[in-house]
Amino acid sequence: MHEAPKTLSDYRKNIDEALKDDYLRKTLDTFAVAYRAGRDAVFQEVDEKTLIKQIADAKDDACQHMEELYAQFKAEAEKRGVIVHRAATAIEANDIIARIAKENGCKRIVKSKSMTAEETQLNVRLEEDGLIVDETDLGEWIIQLRHEGPSHMVMPAIHLNRYQVAEDFEKATGDKQDTDVQKLVKVARVQLRRKFMNADMGISGANFCVAETGAIATVTNEGNARMVTTLPRVHVALAGLDKLIPTLDVAMTALQVLPRNATAQRLTSYVTWMCGASPCAASPTGKKVMHVVMLDNGRTAIAKDPLFSQIFRCVRCGACANVCPVFRMVGGHKMGYIYIGAIGLILTYFFHGRDNAKALCQNCIGCESCKNVCAGGIDLPRLIREVRARLVDETGNNAMGAMMGAMMTNRKAFHTLLKFAKYAQLPFTGGDVQFQRHLPAILLGKHDFKALPAIANKSFRDRFPAIKQNVTSPRMRVALFAGCAQDFVYPEQLEAAVKLFNAHNVLVEFPMEQTCCGLPLDMMAQRKASIDVANQNVKAFEAGRYDYVVTLCASCGSFLKHSYPELLAASGKVHEVAAFSGKVIDFSSFVHDVLGVTKKDFNNYGEKVTFHAPCHLCRGLGVKEAPRALIADAADYVPCAEEEVCCGFGGTYSMKFPEVSGQILAKKLDNVAATGATRLVTDCPGCVMQLRGGAEKRGMKLKVTHMSELLAESMKK
Amino acid sequence: MSEMTPDVVENFKIKAGLVGAVVTEQPSLAAAVQYVVDVCANKSPCEILADEPEAAVGPEKGPNGMPTRAKRIIAAPEIDKAVFADLAAKAEAQGFACLSEGLRKHLAGIDVGLSFAICGVAASGTCLVAGTQEDTRLAGMIAEINVIVLKKSTIYPDLPSVCGILRDLQKDAAVNYSTFITGPSRTADIERVPATGVHGPLELHIILLED
Repeated sequence: MHEAPKTLSDYRKNIDEALKDDYLRKTLDTFAVAYRAGRDAVFQEVDEKTLIKQIADAKDDACQHMEELYAQFKAEAEKRGVIVHRAATAIEANDIIARIAKENGCKRIVKSKSMTAEETQLNVRLEEDGLIVDETDLGEWIIQLRHEGPSHMVMPAIHLNRYQVAEDFEKATGDKQDTDVQKLVKVARVQLRRKFMNADMGISGANFCVAETGAIATVTNEGNARMVTTLPRVHVALAGLDKLIPTLDVAMTALQVLPRNATAQRLTSYVTWMCGASPCAASPTGKKVMHVVMLDNGRTAIAKDPLFSQIFRCVRCGACANVCPVFRMVGGHKMGYIYIGAIGLILTYFFHGRDNAKALCQNCIGCESCKNVCAGGIDLPRLIREVRARLVDETGNNAMGAMMGAMMTNRKAFHTLLKFAKYAQLPFTGGDVQFQRHLPAILLGKHDFKALPAIANKSFRDRFPAIKQNVTSPRMRVALFAGCAQDFVYPEQLEAAVKLFNAHNVLVEFPMEQTCCGLPLDMMAQRKASIDVANQNVKAFEAGRYDYVVTLCASCGSFLKHSYPELLAASGKVHEVAAFSGKVIDFSSFVHDVLGVTKKDFNNYGEKVTFHAPCHLCRGLGVKEAPRALIADAADYVPCAEEEVCCGFGGTYSMKFPEVSGQILAKKLDNVAATGATRLVTDCPGCVMQLRGGAEKRGMKLKVTHMSELLAESMKK
Repeated sequence: MSEMTPDVVENFKIKAGLVGAVVTEQPSLAAAVQYVVDVCANKSPCEILADEPEAAVGPEKGPNGMPTRAKRIIAAPEIDKAVFADLAAKAEAQGFACLSEGLRKHLAGIDVGLSFAICGVAASGTCLVAGTQEDTRLAGMIAEINVIVLKKSTIYPDLPSVCGILRDLQKDAAVNYSTFITGPSRTADIERVPATGVHGPLELHIILLED
């Protein structure tokens, strides 16, 4: 059982260790790539989005009717000879199970995998009572032998290699073990069979508790859950109240997604339905002694929370870890406490308290990969930001966040600071206009994986009034939303856009009162400040009747479009916000879909260009075709492996976890280098900052630009 | 009866094959019985994974260093009496034991367990198998090879289309234990390397029966 880090600096030290574990890195890398391909293949046969929606709706409904479902489940199960208990807390659940063991004179217990039993730390309690507890899921058995917790909800021992397992098995059996995986698996077959036979009590979890029939179901591959629930004379199932569903139909829907999402299987080897206490020859009565313990541990309170109740859509498939770029780098022991992955960061806060959650919940890069695959369609990145905001409310603000909040809500002061920063950095740029060359190492610390950009000499807002737009009778009027990075670091990206738009007879305006979109503030848990700047921005664009609000920053775009209506839901300006968000469009979609730009508009010089799909473009805004089509129109587009995987920037994330950010970037640049492209194009200034800085640091012969620059350079005059 | 189409049967065969099940088509129950006996004859004798004092031990150790059964065991609980008689006769002719009950005495492992599916699910190559009676359940759990007989007419396209069947099993029953079985017991818990035969059967055979 590992400890959760209590401070960010402890957490960074933990992560450093994980990053040095070459085996872990290689395994998780291979897994990340293989998982995506496997998942895609098995989802081709079903309607993924519809199924996910059905699961979300059904589980939301179940959550609203938790008490009725519990009553119905209990009545139906008890009709069939099962005793149903309700435990308010983890301790109470453990007490109930220990009491059942005592009342039935049980000494030896076999367990099949249960995350809920991990949540309550059941084994610890049972062992205190002198009971012998053996895990029988292979992965769980291995980590039990090592006294560790699971590093993945579905593959608990994914962090270990065959040599470590062989060593553990040698200690457990006293025999020399072969390191061949097939043989190691059979060690478990041989060793655990006698444990199944000798046990008096079996403990399982449950994936579903079906109210209409009082049945429980387990979803497994090894067959150990069938042994655990069949051979011993007593069976206790432990399940959270969130596992209650009204009908078998809901389970059938979820079963089409859960195995596909978890392990890219169409169905697991065994889905076992236990409806009532079945015949059992080992029991003196000839009938199994069967108990179901339903655990609350805060669940009824969460069920009433209008935002967080959606966490009960979780079916524990572990997909949020499988696709997480951070998990890929650091592994599950550093990406959760007991529950792992994005959902783990949230559940830790609810089930295991603020102290265990406050450092962990910082470790989300916000790439939305998890949200994109979640079996229940849970908005995981948003909920993680929400947990951070609540922690600030409950435990007080951090100095850095509070300073940012105070500074950035005052637009004039913030922009003045940015403008003055260009003087402050002078000694460090050495006259180079792009990078800060001479930052002392002490200031750079762990950020030395990329060259940091210099603040532009003159911001876009100061350049804009001087730009001559030769548009006589414009077909459209658009407003640019710049975002801080382009306004103050990369104004040339916006100038390129203006040039392109003008050439297509579009007049550009730049509302001067616009400010930071608020995403960095929200990532830093500065909820009040992010609402404040959101209001400022809506107001800044209100007066002009623009056809579109175009942004060249995918992160700003996604935040303006999807998060503003949520953030400002209580602002009393719902219609104004909806009107603003409705007009927001990303650069590539605007150029490709609205302006209808084609091959004919470009001189294609045959430059080999590859693409990085920003997280908030391909997932946040769902834009996939437009940027690739534009590159192919203007140049020789060479696709890149893992094009839609995060570059490691994540805004403030790269400041909080520079080591992880640097490793994700390294992977990205390896893939880019393998394309042989001479230019890398992307649609977000944050990604440009990260990728250009990394390429520069590595000395790659690679030009990294925004899409707007490629298009403006290639357009026919 | 499902709206059986050749497509559903073909899809079932493909999907069951993808998870490592051995799928065969047999014209009659008699032929299926012969198949079961042949499977038992062609396998190496079952390893005895735990103490079973009365078990006769064969001359050779199994692949995992455990003793093996001198007399192979086929288990076929809850089947038609005439079919069981036929199976038992054929098994005994080969020197195998054929049991319809009392499997708790042989939890250390048996050779072949015969099960009859309630229905099949084409989309995943799955069989729904009854197991309320303990021996019926054990036959498919402790056998090295589980053979499931599935009538082609009971193969349905997907999980939602068998939901009613599962509900009927549970709804008014005093008790029911049944399992969707898809391929043999498997794991990828060590280095994500796929391996079969962890705690359950090493092999799964499905006999598709015309009816």
